[in-house]
Amino acid sequence: MISQLSVFVDNRPGSMANITEALSEAGYNIRAFATFDTPEFGILRLVVDKPTEAKEFLTSKGFVVRVQEVIGAELKDERGSLNYMLRKLADGNVNINYIYSFVIRSGKAPVMVLHTGETKEALKLLNEAKVTLVNDDEL
Amino acid sequence: MIWAKEETLNRNEIEILQLEKLKGTVAYIYDRVAPYRAKMDEAGVKPSHIESIKDLRKLPFTYKVDFRDNYPLGLFAVDKKDLVRFHASSGTTGKPTMVGYTKNDLEVWLNNVARIACMGGASSSDVAQIAFGYGTFTGALGLHGGLEKIGASVIPMSSGNTKKQIMFMQDLGVTLLVATPSYALHLGEEIRARGIDPEKDLKIKIGLFGGEGMTEPMRDEMHKIWGKGFLCTQNYGMSELCGPGVSGECEELVGMHINEDWFIAEVINPVTGEVLNEGETGELVITCLGKEALPLIRYRTGDLTKLMYEPCKCGRTTARMANLSGRADDMLVIRGVNVFPTQIEEVLLAIPEIGPHYEITVERKNHLDVMTIEVELTDDSLLDSYGKLSELEQKIGKGLKAQLGLATRIKLAAPFTLKRFEGKAKRVTDLRKDGL
Repeated sequence: MISQLSVFVDNRPGSMANITEALSEAGYNIRAFATFDTPEFGILRLVVDKPTEAKEFLTSKGFVVRVQEVIGAELKDERGSLNYMLRKLADGNVNINYIYSFVIRSGKAPVMVLHTGETKEALKLLNEAKVTLVNDDEL
Repeated sequence: MIWAKEETLNRNEIEILQLEKLKGTVAYIYDRVAPYRAKMDEAGVKPSHIESIKDLRKLPFTYKVDFRDNYPLGLFAVDKKDLVRFHASSGTTGKPTMVGYTKNDLEVWLNNVARIACMGGASSSDVAQIAFGYGTFTGALGLHGGLEKIGASVIPMSSGNTKKQIMFMQDLGVTLLVATPSYALHLGEEIRARGIDPEKDLKIKIGLFGGEGMTEPMRDEMHKIWGKGFLCTQNYGMSELCGPGVSGECEELVGMHINEDWFIAEVINPVTGEVLNEGETGELVITCLGKEALPLIRYRTGDLTKLMYEPCKCGRTTARMANLSGRADDMLVIRGVNVFPTQIEEVLLAIPEIGPHYEITVERKNHLDVMTIEVELTDDSLLDSYGKLSELEQKIGKGLKAQLGLATRIKLAAPFTLKRFEGKAKRVTDLRKDGL
């Protein structure tokens, strides 16, 4: 499993930059970053090194931050591998709330981050399908 | 038509009548209402000190907060069994401002409304559609009873449901509309949008507007939408004083005639309390004469206006008050409903997922008021999903709806993004300009 940070952001220019700036200045490394088109406010999802420490830091800077465990799945860098994983989960009736991919990892296979309400079931299905799962310490 | 002979007395006659009733009212309230007696004792005034109208100035003010401090019925002068009606309006916090009427009060009230309806051009041949919200709000039942008194046919329509409003207007040949001015503009535009020309296709010729002020630009707009011949007047009142029926415009449109045999109007400097002269703008203070259930002396209305005593071309000699020019406090009027920021604050402070800071923005869209309240999210556990955050927005909206009786738009903001204040906070931005 991967520890993901969720940060509340206003829908206005600069609200994301405020977060990335704070993290950069404090020397945290951002490894995955996702947000979606919403009308009024957003939840920024990110994966950083030292997530617990980063949460403390962002909270002290006045951000509302939550750490959550999400699934990290490594994909083979070949045609059809994302579809393969999603099909397995779909066939097992697991609903994915959101999914996003990692920023490029040099020399390593791509990793998808996904969140579902049925984590246990999803992990079982992915293991059965022989999808490589990734943990924080392997990033 | 002038409904009552008291509307045409000369100044001297009015003052003699007022003094006589004032003496009675002061003795009555001193005898029966303990909180007010305490105020008089503290100020060292006895009922016997009232020897002229000017002596009114010796009496202490009554404030809206007195209703809260003596909630629910501590300012009442009669026993509950003598009451025939309750109404209520917004309080400054969660408790409403409770008002009540004896049988006699109700009679006086509705006669005063009948006067106002006549001033605005109503007569027994009118078919009147009341598009105020019914309920504990005094506006709807006040105009309802007053119009019945003059013999008009009343339709208790309530607000909303545009389609039904139009159907009744067409099928019953409605001639008179009672509404807030902004709702009348909204309704008129909806009617036009359906291809109906109010001037040709409807019989509406009179508008009696209240619940919120009507500016002159709003009146001009009213003529554009409802037709040049549309006689639209506004009237004034508040639940504490009786409801509508305190004052109203006649067709001369030179201010609102005050029913001076029942109400003494003063205009004061809201900071010092000093009584101002005719024509000077300040806070309107009203003393109710002869009210049985809820007598009020020198009630601070919070409304800013000025007084004019010149007799009117319409034949009435009663003093007139100018269109309201604002508020002495931070009360907002949203869709005709009085809203105090303290009421909103009370609801927000009880919700643990958000912080104590908030900003209120009021705009008018399609002639309807829209109030947006921004709050800062503090609870990180809601960040699991958008669903949880929108549930929080709904929860805040529901709490406010229960408190204010109004729908609001809630906007979540990140912490430390709303304004902080040192000293007096200015949390309200009112973008409505000239009521349009």
